[in-house]
Amino acid sequence: MKKKFYPDYLIEVLFFTVLTFELIIILTFLFPPLIGREIDFTASYQPRPEWYFLWLFWLVRFFSGDMMFIGGVLIPTIFIAFFMMIPWIEKKLGRKITIILAAVIFIILAYSTLIELLDK
Amino acid sequence: MKIIDWFLDRFRLKNFHRGIFERDIPEGISYFYCLGGIAFSAFLFCFISGLFLSFHYIPSESEAYRSILRIHEEVSLGKVMRGIHKWSANVLIISIVLHSIRVFVTKSYRPPRELNWIVGVMIFILVMFEGFTGYLLPWDQKAYWATVVGTNIAGSIPVIGEAILLIIRGGYDVTGITLMRFYSFHVIWFPLLIIILLWAHFHIIKKLGISKPL
Repeated sequence: MKKKFYPDYLIEVLFFTVLTFELIIILTFLFPPLIGREIDFTASYQPRPEWYFLWLFWLVRFFSGDMMFIGGVLIPTIFIAFFMMIPWIEKKLGRKITIILAAVIFIILAYSTLIELLDK
Repeated sequence: MKIIDWFLDRFRLKNFHRGIFERDIPEGISYFYCLGGIAFSAFLFCFISGLFLSFHYIPSESEAYRSILRIHEEVSLGKVMRGIHKWSANVLIISIVLHSIRVFVTKSYRPPRELNWIVGVMIFILVMFEGFTGYLLPWDQKAYWATVVGTNIAGSIPVIGEAILLIIRGGYDVTGITLMRFYSFHVIWFPLLIIILLWAHFHIIKKLGISKPL
């Protein structure tokens, strides 16, 4: 039987919408949002970003001062450019090499996030 | 039903909904194809809770922190709204990552869908920027210094760095002007761009259909 968006597929998607909402509500009550301390302008403070920026935090620390943009802007831009160009990179280099390159970048991102998460 | 038909007719949408609802879905697609739908749901929850938070939040140097305290302590369901906003943002980022892995694995980015892949990457970047600008809004210790560090990175770019820094900070330091600017980015600029890109994302899916599984 041919599946149609309505009603076959829509009900599946809506099921996951409800499930997503439930997950968010559960997380909200288990881990309610916190409020930090008021700003203290006098003392410099080493902040930690949200988990989804930890890879950037990790990259930036390899460079200091004027070179900071290499870790903070240049390398992320290369990553983004790679991901955007995947359809063309695949045409040029083939599926296998594309998978390897994508996996390497993904592992760098995942690994750096993980070390930063564990290094409290 | 008559009133719905009337609206559809006046908007000349009689055949529009057909394009969406009566679309064929390829056989054999797995539940991993719902990840995009999950991401969109999380975006909507983020959007709606954000609408409610904007009732009570005041983007000013002296009021921002106190308005967050008020949202937590006085506004009914304020803390819950903030929790939903925070957690749906987290779910959104995770589901976008998983969705793009699904698209990569099933090779759905191949022509003619390469433009949709690019639109998707752009949406992801904008969502990350939403996360960054939203982080400053509570105007607490963590938020302030994270923004100082984060914007310093942009400022370290050779030649154009200083100009970018002045645009995003509204001056040489992170002040109330920066807060106003981040608020504007967070609630107007980026959501507007994301909605335009989401329209493109869905429009391409509507026109080209869901890619056939392997």
